[in-house]
Amino acid sequence: MPIDHKRINPPEDAVPYKLFTKLNTKSSQEQYQQILDKNQIRKDGRHASEHRKIYMKTGVIAHAKGSAYIEQGQTKIVASVFDPREIPNRLDYCLKGEVYCDFKFAPFSCPKRRLHQQDSQEKEYSSIMKKALEAAICRHEFPNFQVDVYVLVLHNAGSALSAAITAAGAALASAGIPMFDIITSSTLAIQGKDVLLDPDFEEETLSEIAIEKEHGIIVISVLATHDQISHFHQVGNLPLNVVSDSIDILHKSCKEIVPLVQKCVIRSVLAGISET
Amino acid sequence: MPLCDAEKTFVLHGVDANMRIDGREREDYRPMELETDVVSHAFGSARLRLANTDVLVAVKIEVDSPFPEKPFEGKLEFFVDCSANATPDFEGRGGENLAVELSNCLASAYRSNEALDLKKLCIMKGRKCWKLYVDILLLEVGGNLFDAVSIAVKSALYNTQIPKIKSIHVDGSQIDIQVCDDIFSCTRLDISGAPLMVTVCKIGEHCIVDPNAAEEQCSVGAVVVAVSRGCLSTVLQTGTGSFHPKTLKECLKLGFSVAQNLEDSLMETLGEIKPNQDVGFLK
Repeated sequence: MPIDHKRINPPEDAVPYKLFTKLNTKSSQEQYQQILDKNQIRKDGRHASEHRKIYMKTGVIAHAKGSAYIEQGQTKIVASVFDPREIPNRLDYCLKGEVYCDFKFAPFSCPKRRLHQQDSQEKEYSSIMKKALEAAICRHEFPNFQVDVYVLVLHNAGSALSAAITAAGAALASAGIPMFDIITSSTLAIQGKDVLLDPDFEEETLSEIAIEKEHGIIVISVLATHDQISHFHQVGNLPLNVVSDSIDILHKSCKEIVPLVQKCVIRSVLAGISET
Repeated sequence: MPLCDAEKTFVLHGVDANMRIDGREREDYRPMELETDVVSHAFGSARLRLANTDVLVAVKIEVDSPFPEKPFEGKLEFFVDCSANATPDFEGRGGENLAVELSNCLASAYRSNEALDLKKLCIMKGRKCWKLYVDILLLEVGGNLFDAVSIAVKSALYNTQIPKIKSIHVDGSQIDIQVCDDIFSCTRLDISGAPLMVTVCKIGEHCIVDPNAAEEQCSVGAVVVAVSRGCLSTVLQTGTGSFHPKTLKECLKLGFSVAQNLEDSLMETLGEIKPNQDVGFLK
């Protein structure tokens, strides 16, 4: 890993102090048992199959062609889209335009401080976002050009990737980039028999660890009008039938977000008309 | 080499008729050639040739200190190197994106403790652990890299020998590890859960496995399905394109069943390989 000379970095072996507090003396199993009670109600009062409330706004960044801000529970994300520009350092002509995605956690967004440079998780998320958005954008409309999408996570309270994809979709739409459909995304966390829709940060981290044999996280993004899944990503250890069932749950949940994004985009269009 | 429209139509019709351009059916693999223990400086290595795809994997082991949040676990890292010998596209930084995608996919497939138990790699809680570096070198690219790489990685891990530790001396913050003198006494990794990846390509109305370079260009979308011990450990899409939920489920089902057959035949083959063979690649 190249060293960042422009900024003052903390010592590499620094450890977040939370590891030493009493909270952390509980084993992950004990922590997990507190997440869901017998009636399938979670710590924050949601039912296991309930999505967090979403607040969305477009046109938050003046310099960008299109932008969106999303709050999904405590998760806060800004996405911005810039005008198509010629692809730098490219010699051959390509028929389809390209999408460049940059996903970044702000240094203060997670319990552990993130570095300014993209780490491997952020690179992975960028490439997932790129694949999800490429399927939604009419890339043949701007050959040899590139659209830049930048996403910054201000507060990561779980399901950051899917919130980022939804926000980026709204930002693309408000930027007037030709698209096939509105894109929405949703996350599911599974541990044993418990299936948690839209997990928060704690639920997400606990589902990544193998407390029970079956565990995992699934993220899908959906183009709702055409019933198409533009990207599907799963990690963990899950049997085939559980994954198949989860696709249906997530598909439904993604469809429920669509009216919200539509309203948000319509509002930005109306605001643009009244200005002129 | 990009294909022209007529060539693409030819491939498409072949898939439709369940007779692909190289004579295979939709669920058939190309012939494979597998060798283990090919690199003498590595702790374990394997080389896989899947028709025109050639992959060399070597495992190196070092002593490291574990992550503070996971004091009981060892470390595992994947590095993919796209040599410009493989295809001219990899020249310069051309293969970087593919390399990152491959190593990310491997890392997420091996992330669960069900896939590979990293606790076995711990030497002393919170202080010392083994770190496995899995280096993957692509020697030739002829389509279906994900499958080839996952098989080669699994075989290399199967072949890996971890040195036995005789004694540990702790003196304050100083830790002295004494490794067993006998070079033949080592432990093997339990790789029964190591995932195998199968790429399912959608061409026209049908799904196929093990696409060659020409078929990869014709596909509208592909899903990589990683299967370990009868469970899906990672699923991700490669390339662009979208799926209907029903198609996606079919792809998963096909990938799952193919992966289980592949697993059985791989374990059988690995069992047949005799130690200290003196013929083969790099010998």
